[in-house]
Amino acid sequence: MSGALTGSRHLVRLVLRRDRVRLPLWLIGLGGTIAWSALAVPAVYDTPEKVAGYAATVGASPVSYLMSGRQPGIDTIGGITANEISQVAQLGVCLMVLFLVVRHTRAEEESGRAELLRSTVLGRHAATLAGLGYAVAAALVIGALTTGTMLAADLDPTGSVTYGLGLALLGTCYAAVALVAAQVSGSARGALGIGGSLVALGYLVRGVGAMQDNALVWLSPFGWAQSMNAFGDERWWPAQFLVAATAGLLVVAARLTAHRDLGSGLVQPRPGAPRASSRLGTPLGLTLRLQRGTIVGWSVGMFLLGLVYGAVLSTVPDLLASNPDIADYIGAGGVAEDAVTDAFLRYVLLFMAVASTGYAVSSVLRMRSEEEAGRSENVLATGTPRVRWLAATVVTATGGTLAVLVLAGVGLAVGRGLAGGGWSDAVAMAGEQVTYAPAALVVAAVAVAAVGLAPRLALVAWAVVAFVGLQVMLGAILRLPDVVSGLSPFWHLPGVPEEDLAAGPGLVELVVAAALVAVGLWGYRRRDLDSA
Amino acid sequence: MENVIEIRDLRKTFGPTVALDGLDLTVGRGEVHGFLGPNGAGKSTTIRILLGLLRRDSGEVRVLGGDPWAEAADLHRRIAYVPGDVSLWPNLTGGEVVDLLGRMRGGLDESRRAELLERFDLDPTKKARTYSKGNRQKVAVVAAFASRVDLLLLDEPTSGLDPLMEEEFRRCVHEARAEGATVLLSSHILAEAEALSDRVTIIKGGRAVESGTLAELRHLTRTTVTAETVSPPAGLADLPGVHEARVSDGRIAFDVDSDHLDGAVAALSRLGIRSLTAHPPTLEELFLRHYGETTRDKAEVGSR
Repeated sequence: MSGALTGSRHLVRLVLRRDRVRLPLWLIGLGGTIAWSALAVPAVYDTPEKVAGYAATVGASPVSYLMSGRQPGIDTIGGITANEISQVAQLGVCLMVLFLVVRHTRAEEESGRAELLRSTVLGRHAATLAGLGYAVAAALVIGALTTGTMLAADLDPTGSVTYGLGLALLGTCYAAVALVAAQVSGSARGALGIGGSLVALGYLVRGVGAMQDNALVWLSPFGWAQSMNAFGDERWWPAQFLVAATAGLLVVAARLTAHRDLGSGLVQPRPGAPRASSRLGTPLGLTLRLQRGTIVGWSVGMFLLGLVYGAVLSTVPDLLASNPDIADYIGAGGVAEDAVTDAFLRYVLLFMAVASTGYAVSSVLRMRSEEEAGRSENVLATGTPRVRWLAATVVTATGGTLAVLVLAGVGLAVGRGLAGGGWSDAVAMAGEQVTYAPAALVVAAVAVAAVGLAPRLALVAWAVVAFVGLQVMLGAILRLPDVVSGLSPFWHLPGVPEEDLAAGPGLVELVVAAALVAVGLWGYRRRDLDSA
Repeated sequence: MENVIEIRDLRKTFGPTVALDGLDLTVGRGEVHGFLGPNGAGKSTTIRILLGLLRRDSGEVRVLGGDPWAEAADLHRRIAYVPGDVSLWPNLTGGEVVDLLGRMRGGLDESRRAELLERFDLDPTKKARTYSKGNRQKVAVVAAFASRVDLLLLDEPTSGLDPLMEEEFRRCVHEARAEGATVLLSSHILAEAEALSDRVTIIKGGRAVESGTLAELRHLTRTTVTAETVSPPAGLADLPGVHEARVSDGRIAFDVDSDHLDGAVAALSRLGIRSLTAHPPTLEELFLRHYGETTRDKAEVGSR
């Protein structure tokens, strides 16, 4: 067996060399965000009254349950801190390991570089082991940074260690998930899709379980990590679930590695059409064909997400009965039910809209990967003008973003209807989701401008997605000044349905998006094509 | 003769790297022009500028009478391109790629498409991710020859093709020429350019060092001869056209101009030949001989 792992050490060294910028960015970016937020909490909740108020209101609100689960010790400053950071910390660590693992496993195989390495003295499982070790180390660093910050903030030491460990183990578990995904799919994009869906699923199941306070939380790695009860009645046995799941997934990954050819996935490619369909003959036809899978995947995923959120919408008022303080907190008397539902809906709409920027940016950046791979050259050597080639991507990304948002909204309305919440305003509800389209399109347009002006920095568009997400999830606790929050296009749009819809900000943002696209087109027309 | 490609004093740098350093290149209508140079000499950079994919820093470039940067898309309807390293969309089939590129170029000849798939023995139903390097190359070659164009830009098009397919490719180039197309064929293999080209330009370090018909360049195509003879090989070095004769262990090696090959071999024959090998010079030898430095100096230049 040791033969199958030979060379892992060399591989780890190669991985570290390749990621000498990327890894520190992840660690500093994610760890720094966690630390910054955690250190901000004690300053906001600086009196016992405020702490008690948090426990009775924010910490017990349906939004909080859905996004961060039921955090133990919510009436202590430690519990509040954990509750405030866990959304970013947990999702962040999972996405980090997913991207790192896929980058060094399936993406390497897809590019053909793995073949070169495997021809050297390198065991069959060395890549898996190196990827795992690397991702686990990164997750441990994030966990340690989190624990360290919590200790620095003078939080309960046992709670701090438990929380950090839970976080690291959650990352470890999803690193194993990513390793399996990288075996199943024949492409890096596919592996990221599978892994990302499983992160979303685990997160969603824990959230719904927490809202309904039932056993669903025990079906999710997020739930296992939280069940270690950091800052409450700490217990370490739920960690066994995370360790066992990790071990099980590793066995699966190893078996799959041993039973497939290098470079192939589980699904063997089948022969396809000998002739191109009539639609495949224009730049737009090509981009739609290339992004078909991505658009369908995101649309279905967001529809399902909307469906689940819609289904739990009708249970939101039930939480009021068990916690009358929330009614006082949100509004008085009979309208409290509507108010708390609206507040919940507002957050869900915003959350899904921010998630849709993930699609928007990945869709635009396909343009960049086409260029890097030398495939844009094929197209531009034909009678296709540059502007038309980039415009095809802009049209695809815009259409796809709208489709994703519409389906998320429809999912919400359908979920509510199926769960007995009625079908009135169903169309309006779907429409409310789409009111965030201008903000999502601005983020996409930043990516277009980057591709046009500074292709090698195009990945910076992901930093915009990260910022927009952090602003929504952490803006309040960090007490970001308006000039900073205002950098997020989502901040300017009215928070429907709590706030009234106004067309002005959205129209301005559409103009901004159009201007950014124009800049991108201008840049793309006049620069060298950058292919290897 | 009207010129299809005219390049004067073309310069292109990538940061500190000078890829093209005052290149001149002229290709007349209807000719097959060999564009020869070692790796990294600037061949691909030149072709990418001719396609408007890269922007020139300075100099003049005309392709089919137009500016390749400003009029790229219009010109491309009359140009077909085979890149040296073909990258295809992994989830499209070869047949789909041929159709797609043909349609984007403004149409392709159906019967020719079918004929070329047959001749190159290419399965159009396979996904591009399953193609070998040679098969990807074939997809690009079929797509290029299936559209009837005025100018073919071929960047080391035979890399990865097996000898049979290489032969088929050469036939395609001859046919295209017979139909009046102009061909710019970049290569680092002298023999390939010799077999196909009417004229040849040799580029090194981003600059054209020789240009002319093959007859004009005959002085470049010396043959390297190594022989073992019964009698000691004396006096051979003084024969006309023989260069750099060196003797060791009773073997003689020398280079001889093609015009004097006959005389040299006759002289060897008189000495009694025990063994004889002769091969045309490689590009590397040619550069060593004519320009006195190794081509490796600039090997990194313009490898983009």
